[in-house]
Amino acid sequence: MSIVKFLARRLVLSVFVLFGLSILIFTISRVLPGDPVRMALGSRAPEWAVENMRREMHLDEPLYKQYVFWLSGAVRGDLGTSLVTRRAVSEDIREFVPATLELALFAAVIMAVFGIILGAVAGRFRDTWIDNVIRVFSYIGVVTPSFVFAILFVLLFGYLLRIFPTIGRLSPWISRPPTVTGLMTIDSIISGNFVALGDALLHMILPALSLALGPLAQQARIARSTVSDNLGKDYILSAKGFGVPGRVVMFKYLLKPSLIPTVSIMGLDFAGIVANAFLVELIFNWPGFSRYGINAMLNKDLNAVSAVVIVLGMLFVIVNIIVDLVVAWLDPRIRLGAERGK
Amino acid sequence: MVAVLAFGVVGLAAGVLRVTFAWPTYIDPAVGSDFSSSASLANLYDTLVYPANDGTPVEHVATSWEVSEDALQWTFHLRDDVYFHDGTKLTAADVKYSMDRLTTIGEGYGFLFAGRVASTEAVDDTTVRFNLDVPFGPFLSTLYRLYIVNKALVEENLVTPGAYGDFGDYGKGFLVDHDAGSGPYVVREFRVEEELVMTKNEDYWLDIDEAAPDEVRFIGTTETATVRTMMARGELDISDQWQTSEALTALDALDGVDIAAFSPGTEFYMMINTKIAPTDDIHFRKAMAYGTDYDTVITHIFPGAFQARGPVPQNIPGADPTVFQYSRDLDKAREELALSQYDPADYEVEVHWIAEVPDEEKVALLFMANMAEIGINVKVVKVPWMSVVEEMGALETSPHIVTVFDSSHYPEAGSLIESRYHSSSAATWEQNEWLLDEGLDARIEAAIRTVDQGERFAAYAALQHEITDLCPTIFLFEQVEKHAYRADAIDWPTAQGEVNPIMGYNVAARFIKIK
Amino acid sequence: MAHLFEGDRLGRRWEGFKKAWYKFSRNPVSVIGLVLVLAVSFLAIFAPYVSPHPTHARTYVNFVEASQPPSGSHLFGTDVFGRDVLSRIFFGFRYSLMMGSVVLALVVIPGVVLGLLAGYYRGTWIDTLIMRITDIFLAVPPLILALAVTSVLTPNIFNAMMAVSLMWWPWYTRLVYGLASSLRNEFFVQSAEVIGASRRHILFRELLPNCVSSIFTKMSLDMGWVILIGSALSFVGLGAQPPTPDLGTMVADGAKYLPDQWWISIFPAFAIMVTVLGFNLLGDGFRDLFALEEI
Repeated sequence: MSIVKFLARRLVLSVFVLFGLSILIFTISRVLPGDPVRMALGSRAPEWAVENMRREMHLDEPLYKQYVFWLSGAVRGDLGTSLVTRRAVSEDIREFVPATLELALFAAVIMAVFGIILGAVAGRFRDTWIDNVIRVFSYIGVVTPSFVFAILFVLLFGYLLRIFPTIGRLSPWISRPPTVTGLMTIDSIISGNFVALGDALLHMILPALSLALGPLAQQARIARSTVSDNLGKDYILSAKGFGVPGRVVMFKYLLKPSLIPTVSIMGLDFAGIVANAFLVELIFNWPGFSRYGINAMLNKDLNAVSAVVIVLGMLFVIVNIIVDLVVAWLDPRIRLGAERGK
Repeated sequence: MVAVLAFGVVGLAAGVLRVTFAWPTYIDPAVGSDFSSSASLANLYDTLVYPANDGTPVEHVATSWEVSEDALQWTFHLRDDVYFHDGTKLTAADVKYSMDRLTTIGEGYGFLFAGRVASTEAVDDTTVRFNLDVPFGPFLSTLYRLYIVNKALVEENLVTPGAYGDFGDYGKGFLVDHDAGSGPYVVREFRVEEELVMTKNEDYWLDIDEAAPDEVRFIGTTETATVRTMMARGELDISDQWQTSEALTALDALDGVDIAAFSPGTEFYMMINTKIAPTDDIHFRKAMAYGTDYDTVITHIFPGAFQARGPVPQNIPGADPTVFQYSRDLDKAREELALSQYDPADYEVEVHWIAEVPDEEKVALLFMANMAEIGINVKVVKVPWMSVVEEMGALETSPHIVTVFDSSHYPEAGSLIESRYHSSSAATWEQNEWLLDEGLDARIEAAIRTVDQGERFAAYAALQHEITDLCPTIFLFEQVEKHAYRADAIDWPTAQGEVNPIMGYNVAARFIKIK
Repeated sequence: MAHLFEGDRLGRRWEGFKKAWYKFSRNPVSVIGLVLVLAVSFLAIFAPYVSPHPTHARTYVNFVEASQPPSGSHLFGTDVFGRDVLSRIFFGFRYSLMMGSVVLALVVIPGVVLGLLAGYYRGTWIDTLIMRITDIFLAVPPLILALAVTSVLTPNIFNAMMAVSLMWWPWYTRLVYGLASSLRNEFFVQSAEVIGASRRHILFRELLPNCVSSIFTKMSLDMGWVILIGSALSFVGLGAQPPTPDLGTMVADGAKYLPDQWWISIFPAFAIMVTVLGFNLLGDGFRDLFALEEI
């Protein structure tokens, strides 16, 4: 099947899923007991304001009509007002999503780079002490919840050793670079403020590490097994027999095919990172989307919860599609197969 | 990397005051009324009168005032040299607009005036008159909560259509993260989920001490790890009041950090729902009141607190020291239980405690253990604040008991009595008792209406006895509010004993000096 | 021992088991996993009898003994309510194991059955229908659905289990689908069809036994993951509620008291790690034993 057909099929499925998700969340939130208008306006608001608001929020209409209103608003970018922050949810999203994205990307990079390197090294030197050390480390990484890492890091590096900052994205005395993308690092580079860049990176290290270590260990294990599996394959032996230098063997012949399973897991891992981000954001007081989502959930801020679910759903879908494309590109079998299929 | 090394030094030099608060904060004067909101409002806005440390009103924007014979008309004369942050002059029209807006929106402190202030007139630019429906003795002190907004600025930023008809959203959208005030500090940036940053108003109509902070940051977190780390690194000057006693001990141990402790007239109540079984039975309630271990609470859980005596903290004017005080007596508890119509084995009493105040869990669990001794089953549930507010909004969702701190809104016993037990507050977070007693309502209203202070206080005393006899609440303790603060970095008048009884005014930054 | 059992079949089974055990025990790491899992299970099941202070898991406060560091009378110290941390950890194992078991019980049976059906009827509408539904559930971001559902319902351990189950079952369907669809063309299946064996027999007596080792391995590994996710939900406040002695809740509650009363948070954290490690090692051991590649 060609790439285009494959993409199209995935997109359709994803849109379908998002619709279903939105209907589910919407219905649950509308069906729950509680008066959202009273919550928004306060218990002592005058009756006429409550009535006005009720009419504006279309709360006296049948459920399916309400859904249509909500959906048309959502498409236009109006996701309602948050109960907790008292302002438009879309504004909240615009403010918090880049923070989480930046953290997740940083963590993903750490996870991918170090996971593959460690795994490849372990696979290459299988059954030696290097391998064993890495295996122990990866076991620990896999079984430790990210929040445990986060707590330990705060203790160790923030409190006892005081090397790294443990709160927020930027130190209070650094002036924030003007918001272009919302990603602190990119914005600092754009505005040429390298002090802010350094500070932002420092703030990201501990939370990103807490998020990355688990998936990193998982990646290392997978990379290890694929590398050591491939090590014995004929084409590697023949390459070595021909005198191809070790490093070239490693990177050109071993790594690329080994990358396929790791990359395909990576999509899931990235989603896992974003989902787990809430734990880490809570501990490091990172003003991110996941923490906002958790707060919304704990406080039954239904507009915000619906929006969070949809946004995360979309993110997941996009990442999965990207990953599938990358895998298709990486695996010559798929690529060639696609071309032959045309 | 250089920034990493330059930690505390840079922070201090800029004259910055950093305080942590329990979030969220609402800086709209018609919306905010909790602790962090009140503190923000006190810094951003001005009021007609200002509370002195003994609670009496002092001239502020108003230079003088008169009351009519029937106490229904209050006329205030304003200064003519007060300007809003955008340069507009403050006139009586702004005062009228603020009162109208506050009573229409009705949130926050609106309840103090709604139903009392019939109308407001701007007689001329510097004279404003309030026409009351009924006489209201403490009216002057309630004016601490009428924060004057810039009418022109708000009108420029209305969003229509909105819930308030012609007034659109009445500027609520704009005032979420902007200020329309004239106060000593101006909003520079408000990152809603994180931090409120204010800068000194250089053109303030009063003199602000040189040493007062140029920048004030209200940070929205009470996470112990965060607070401790920040304070240890000199990044925080005053902590919030919700730190656990263990955290306070640790904070106190830091160099240069002390604990400021004072009684702000706040009481900790276990509010009992009087309309659902089994707590609708007065004997059942009394059994619970006799079974509670008050001593452990004030010795171990909230050290330094005083056991409460009735619904009003003793340091509030109008409190009656002769009110009956319960104490732990298991025999009496069992007697009362026997008199009740319910068999405790058939019921489970639900106690909801507020997630943001971890020490409340200790009270809840202690209560659970205490009740187990007399045979009452208790279930303890942790609920975040906003969910608590929502639950308490309807009788069907209100649990048996909610543990809440509440303080008076103006320095008189009547404030708490009314906001706690009058029917108008039944659906708010200030009352879980759902008394809905018309007779009591009438007596409360009559008391507040009394203009003569002696008579008013006598009426308050009678009300306190009546309420305590009903036992609608377990009156646990009067809070000693504790904050950790960096004594070597700031000069905080409150820590030296100059305590302001009005909520939020102890963090009025213009009186705090950075060393 | 073989002579105690009737028939050749059981005797063969026992021999098979002995061989498997020999192979399994060659790998010390797998044995460690088994030991850990057995230890945790033992502690969980017999918690009321083995704990030094079983009452501390329920209604108990003693502020005089609160916040004691690890000592002779309290090996893991006491928390801020005066409760013995060690005892609460034992009871915490109960909730963790219960969550894992309940979720897997809810998930495995429907997931496996659907996978068997889809795999056997591969290429028909049954296959398409089942696998499309599975795809839809797989396309939903895993934790998100769990969080959202738990949040709009009352946060408690029961709802958390429901939510996690909802997102877990597709994996079993997929696994068994792959196995069943490749197995269905094998000789033994076709011969069973030819002699007119009932569908039920083919599905459950021919296909299923060949999938059991994969399913079993996956279940062991999954126990660890479910426990991890459960502890994350509790940590955030969407799972077990205090005063339930759940490990995730204990870590979260104890985190406020770091670093001075470190034992309140750190020991439960290690307990989680040890439990998950045990199941992971055990699952890995099974995987090596059955020489599986699909997991």
